Amino acid sequence: MTFKYGIATTVAATLMATTAMAEIKVGFIGSLSSDTGLSTLRGAEMAIDELNAAGGVMGEQITLVSADTGEDVTEGVKAYEYLAESEEVDFIISGSIDDVSLGWLPRMQEFQIPTLDTWTSYIGIIDMVVEDPDLMAPYFMNIASDEALATLYINFGADVLKAKMGWESVVILAEDTAFGEAITGLVTDALGPVAGIEVKEIINYDIGTVDFAPIFSKAQASGADFIYQVSSVNSQVISSQYVKLQVPMAMTGVNVSALGLEYWEDTGGAGGGISTLSPIPSVGFELDPVSAQFVTDYQARYDSRPKMPHFNGFNAYHGLKQAMAAAAEAGGFGDVKAWNAAMLKQDLKLEKDGKLWLRYGFWQHGEVEEVTQRTYPQNALFDLTAPYEDAQPSMVVIQWKEDGSVGVVYPFEYANTEFEVPSWVK
Amino acid sequence: MMQIIIQGLLLSGLYALIAMGFMLIFSIGRTLNLAYGAYIMVGGYIYFWLSQQIGMPKVVGFLGAVVVGAIMGLLKHRLIVKPLKGDPVAVEISTLILAVIMQSAVVLLFGDASKILLPIIPGVVTISGAQVTYNILAATVMSWVIILALYAFIRGTHTGRAMQAVSMDQKGAAISGVDPDRINMITWAISGGLGAAGGVFFASYTQLSPTMWVAPVIISVAIVIVGGIGSIIGTLIVAHIIGFLEIIVVAVWAPELRGVFTMLLIIGVLIMRPQGLFGREEH
Amino acid sequence: MNLRPHHFLLWAAFIALMFAMPQFVGNGTLRTMIFACYLAIFAISWDILSGRTGYISFGHPFLVGIGAYTTAILTRRYGFPVEASIPLAVLFTMIGGLIVLLPALRIKGSYFALVTLAVMELMYQLVPVVRPDLTGGTRGISRLPALTRGAENGYYLAAGLMLAIALFAWLLMRTRLGTALWAIGMNEESVRGSGLSTTRLKSFAFLVSAAIAGLGGAFYAHYLGTITPRAFFDINVLFQIIVAVLIGGAGTILGPIIGAFFMVFMLEWLRPFLPGQERFFVYGLIALLLYMYQPKGIMAIIDSGWAKLRGART
Repeated sequence: MTFKYGIATTVAATLMATTAMAEIKVGFIGSLSSDTGLSTLRGAEMAIDELNAAGGVMGEQITLVSADTGEDVTEGVKAYEYLAESEEVDFIISGSIDDVSLGWLPRMQEFQIPTLDTWTSYIGIIDMVVEDPDLMAPYFMNIASDEALATLYINFGADVLKAKMGWESVVILAEDTAFGEAITGLVTDALGPVAGIEVKEIINYDIGTVDFAPIFSKAQASGADFIYQVSSVNSQVISSQYVKLQVPMAMTGVNVSALGLEYWEDTGGAGGGISTLSPIPSVGFELDPVSAQFVTDYQARYDSRPKMPHFNGFNAYHGLKQAMAAAAEAGGFGDVKAWNAAMLKQDLKLEKDGKLWLRYGFWQHGEVEEVTQRTYPQNALFDLTAPYEDAQPSMVVIQWKEDGSVGVVYPFEYANTEFEVPSWVK
Repeated sequence: MMQIIIQGLLLSGLYALIAMGFMLIFSIGRTLNLAYGAYIMVGGYIYFWLSQQIGMPKVVGFLGAVVVGAIMGLLKHRLIVKPLKGDPVAVEISTLILAVIMQSAVVLLFGDASKILLPIIPGVVTISGAQVTYNILAATVMSWVIILALYAFIRGTHTGRAMQAVSMDQKGAAISGVDPDRINMITWAISGGLGAAGGVFFASYTQLSPTMWVAPVIISVAIVIVGGIGSIIGTLIVAHIIGFLEIIVVAVWAPELRGVFTMLLIIGVLIMRPQGLFGREEH
Repeated sequence: MNLRPHHFLLWAAFIALMFAMPQFVGNGTLRTMIFACYLAIFAISWDILSGRTGYISFGHPFLVGIGAYTTAILTRRYGFPVEASIPLAVLFTMIGGLIVLLPALRIKGSYFALVTLAVMELMYQLVPVVRPDLTGGTRGISRLPALTRGAENGYYLAAGLMLAIALFAWLLMRTRLGTALWAIGMNEESVRGSGLSTTRLKSFAFLVSAAIAGLGGAFYAHYLGTITPRAFFDINVLFQIIVAVLIGGAGTILGPIIGAFFMVFMLEWLRPFLPGQERFFVYGLIALLLYMYQPKGIMAIIDSGWAKLRGART
């Protein structure tokens, strides 16, 4: 009995293995309980369903398996190994956060599975691509790297904070993390020379800080015109205390928690008056018809959080289709070199009202960006100079208003509302 | 200077409230209740759910949090502490596992995005140059009320004195006619309720998140260890030492070293004076 | 030493079984086993310190982390070869073990657990702040040199290391030294009364435990390839180590190994059925129920099952 059953299962397993040959298997790696992770997962799901409905890729249907990281570094390594060795996926799409991506990168280098990162923006990973293009051939990042985000943000300082608001000096509140350190370094180096804003003081704070009152007192005592704040971990604590304490100084900067539409609900409406830079397409960003259709379909399909996909949801949706198109050209995902070459050629131009609005393409090897004078191979294409004719800017600045509405304030070409300071600041 | 005093008093009041419930359990059973952080987290989330998600009055939200916290304390005593016969190591380990389970449960129910509580009492006032929210002021006042009530309860009532007796000498208390089991049960319930109440205020200071249970446990551990076992006054004083230490480090020196000195204080005190600054000698 | 031939037969069988494993299972399972082997090493290390002497350490990730960070910093920042950096990592971890030993000379029980917890927390807060150019701050250190490549080689390395450490610990525990450590856990006063220096015995246990943690941590770091503070100095890591020992059975050699494999595999097996956070919830729940059912661990359950079976036969 047991023996017969054993044969039956073996036969079944063999059959399944053969049918499994005729499909393309995509793995998702990321947190299944965060808005970030779900945005990427759902963007990928929708792209796959559309491709399958249109007959699949190279005549094969695409399936999706997901591996949860719980935003834990070690779980991330296990998840990548699971996708690579247990599920034997052909392609991996990632919605991982920075340190989780860094955790599984050695596995990607070992397995050489084509992988697309949609959330992590760490420039250090692009540096690895520059240093060792062969080892990093399977890796693509279709969000502008943090270094490019910060560079363009300096222009916001010059064009809006200095030119329009007339602010001359700044105090920087930076969380004590690598992210904070990287962004703060860039901003402090460039604010003075490029934007003409004097940095009065830099205050690094611990991410576990319970009470920000003494830190805001310190910031006020510096005598600067405004606060520039950088936070990616527990960002809501500092911004909500800013609102609750009604700190009489304007505050702008980077606040990762304010990047999704759920920010308003999560802060109970106590997040007004906050502005932050955001990767594109951000909340409050006007969409081209193709991306708008994606959002309509998304909302018809999912009714749980996040109600509106975060930027990485768009990246996953467009990026997955591009990865499949590259595979079709390269004859599958097996030949990483060929896939890499085909992926680099991908170029999706989305127009709105006759103007180039969003572009999904990649920097080539050796291609130098004119402002930063460096290369960004396999990183999402972006444009750092107005009027942004080559691609979209690397970031936009969004403004949460006290009535709960949100819009883009910078660059002006993409703006649909005005930068403003909270009502309690004179 | 005045700013530091005001901010220090406010933060210390919050820390004292958080540490009280932890101290009670530690003095009765010599048990590190690592799941204490779970009461704090659950208190915050219950308040958020009742008052912000279903729109009940804030008082109902607060009472709801305290009741759920007390029930959790009771359940833990019934289902975990008693079956393990109070073996401290076994209880510590099982509470650690429980805390991790609670963390997953919160992610499942509320997702892992952090959430902000609306101020319990909105508004802000400037006292000698320092902005102070009514919310934080209310938290400090409440925490003093709760601490004084607890002090009166332990010193002034029969049950309270019995709790003290059990904390000093379990067997001796049993001989003199106190039922240690009943007292233990009451203590676990009070500790749970206090934790949940502290959680509402802690969350209104910071945020709700599935990992928010770790930080208050570390703070409580620091305060109780440095203060010593079984001393409400000691806990209160040390809460102020640690609160002021933190504010001074942040305001005057390096804000990124906020937590470092607290840890050094614990390690230093424990090595120099294992019974804590205000504790009794243990045998 | 009380050594019998059947002991060696059992060990030989165990080692042969572990090394034959790649013939029977796929690469995916081998990867899971690698993690289980490293967790087992940390669990054995914890058990030598805490399971035997009764000094419950809540700071064990601190020791593992020192091992990992030392070899990472030496290889990546100063260009040391791994042959030099791993022994140095073990040495540094032993120094770290002495730091943990200091409070143990004066305090015990829950107080000791608290101090070690504070040490770990201190480390977590210091790593990003002090010399981030060396530690890489919160993003940690990437691109550590790999010792081997591929699931099979990685498995042989991890399993070999674990078996060597387990055999060493087993032999050690069968010496009079091992018995004395055990006696400290039972009743420290009476050990002191019998004229033995408990301080020397404790120092020995702490150093051995730290050396194993450092060795395991260093190899683990090279296996991972990237290390971050969150992956080491974290209460979840502590949770996994302690729970592995207690679920398996403290004070035994096989217990921590069984516990580590059980915990790691349970989490992996749940993955296809519960892909999201439910997995961690169920995993914690099973661990709690098992622990409440038998605080002495799976070893005790096996023992009592074995005894019942034998009782039923006779």
